[in-house]
Amino acid sequence: MATIAAAPATQRGAAGKPGPTGTSGGHLVRKRRLFWPFLAPALILYVVFLVAPTIVTGVLSFTRWAGAGDTPQFTGFAGYLRMFASDSFRSALVNTLMYVVVGGIGTFLLAFLFTMVLRDMPGGKLVRTILFFPNIVAPVALAMFFSFLFKSDDKGLANFVLGGLGIDPVRFLAPENVTLTVIGALVWASSGFYITILMAAVDRIPPYLYEDAEIAGASAWQKFRAITLPLTWDVVGVAGVLWTINALKIFELVFVLAGPGTYSPPTAAWTLGIYVFDRSFGSQGTPDYGGASACAVVMIALTSVFVVLLRRLMRRDTIQF
Amino acid sequence: MTVADVGRKAPRRPRPAPGAGRRSPLRVLGMVVVLGFTAFNLLVLYWLIAASFKTPVEIFTKPFALPVRWFQLGKPLRNFAYAWDQAGFGDAFLTTVVLVAASSAAIVLVSAPAAYALTRLGVRGSGPLTNLIAVGMGVPFQTVIIPLFIGLSTVHLTDSLFGLFLVYVALSIPFTVFLLTGFFRSLSDEMEEAAAIDGASPLRTFFAVMLPLARGGLITALILNAIGLWNETLLAIVFLQSQAHFTLARALFTFYGAAEYQSEYGGLIAGVTILVLPMLVLYLVLARRIITGLTLGSGK
Repeated sequence: MATIAAAPATQRGAAGKPGPTGTSGGHLVRKRRLFWPFLAPALILYVVFLVAPTIVTGVLSFTRWAGAGDTPQFTGFAGYLRMFASDSFRSALVNTLMYVVVGGIGTFLLAFLFTMVLRDMPGGKLVRTILFFPNIVAPVALAMFFSFLFKSDDKGLANFVLGGLGIDPVRFLAPENVTLTVIGALVWASSGFYITILMAAVDRIPPYLYEDAEIAGASAWQKFRAITLPLTWDVVGVAGVLWTINALKIFELVFVLAGPGTYSPPTAAWTLGIYVFDRSFGSQGTPDYGGASACAVVMIALTSVFVVLLRRLMRRDTIQF
Repeated sequence: MTVADVGRKAPRRPRPAPGAGRRSPLRVLGMVVVLGFTAFNLLVLYWLIAASFKTPVEIFTKPFALPVRWFQLGKPLRNFAYAWDQAGFGDAFLTTVVLVAASSAAIVLVSAPAAYALTRLGVRGSGPLTNLIAVGMGVPFQTVIIPLFIGLSTVHLTDSLFGLFLVYVALSIPFTVFLLTGFFRSLSDEMEEAAAIDGASPLRTFFAVMLPLARGGLITALILNAIGLWNETLLAIVFLQSQAHFTLARALFTFYGAAEYQSEYGGLIAGVTILVLPMLVLYLVLARRIITGLTLGSGK
């Protein structure tokens, strides 16, 4: 989307230049004088609160610093090496990759399945509205709901239903199970968003393509494979990028579901987002701003790598229809 | 959704040969999943609202029944009263409304001129600048909280609603500018040119012609930011420490541990409902605008 966005703006700039005749030229010059006053407030806030802090985090990641009262000491890559060797970081990294990859596959498979059905389903618009609903609910509230659903003793709603079916209670939120449980919760909570994005693209496909395929006797899978997927490919790519960005920073859902709530959960359930938080603002022990910054750098590096890889993988010639 | 509905819609498109592609196993599976999923979402909503009127015993032993006990005792709103007064959700509600309204308005106020400048003034370098700002959408907040916290604490703006307001406004700029550039770019040049020919100054053209034309986009940006900030938790946890300044999501986060400890599950669920219900109402009124707005950037 970024490269597409650039095109019209540059064309406008080129087209505006060669015609400085009469009043329209003078107007153009006066118009351009607005550029910096209009852009400056947003740009300054952006640079001060987002660009500069990102750079500072990068610098801090090479230091050892316990926060207020301590002075940062430059340690080079020692902090990174220590972090990569620690169990808490390793499980945070593995869990985060699980959320991105396993959760992503689950969400997109579900979304694809839904596109096959929702396109010509009566009442489909209403169904879509209901499916989208979890996206306007605070993750922290969703997490509370899931904590009631998955309580480990027979108090939990899921175990209540399982008990009714004569099945022994499952410890959904035990450290060894919680990642899978949260992946399920995450897929449930986010699939509505991706279904909506994909369906917006599917709705733009001319219906006669599907009608022709139906007359030819194509199955639902064949229609998906030959029409839906190729014609929504670009949107699938953008949705994949959005998924990666969002799943990599997962925090509240895991923090509340895996732990006692106010304090950090056991390290086996950590994500990178929890690692950063625990090492900087978590309530236990002295803060380790250097280590937290190093993990934050890993987060932004992973985001960049995934986004670039996805765009590379999804690249192909545009299909006009 | 009924058979009659289907019958009425039928003439619009030619019906396929009987049975062709209709009853394929994949389609049936999809149908089952879609309906199950939808039913589950409705059940979640029912459970949440019903449970917020229940006693802990009812919540755990009769999760799908209607609430009874508090109604019998003549205190149907007991859980809400507890959350509102004892757990501080009343104060948090007011704080959140004011903070979210002020932040969303400020975000649009700052982002709209920027988006206009980047799309309609024909200045070279606008494209790369737009991309530079859009890239900010991909930066996880975890990457910036430590320097922001240190910086704001040196100017005594941590544990301060004004400090959080600044952070909210600044960190929402990438998404909002990106969203609004889409809206401004889609406006036609004609109105702008007509205003210029009539002698309107560029500033006047912006306020009197372009802003009203982009009103739909501005309202969408306002609503989407309001929803996002209403639900925001991580930054509120980092930047607010004293209960007097808590937002709803922040208050819920803190109340969770205490509620577990005191078995105050009714109050906890009432707290969840207080957080969720305003968004649900907003969603029921504005579902189409919210959905198209949130999915807009990806579709084009």
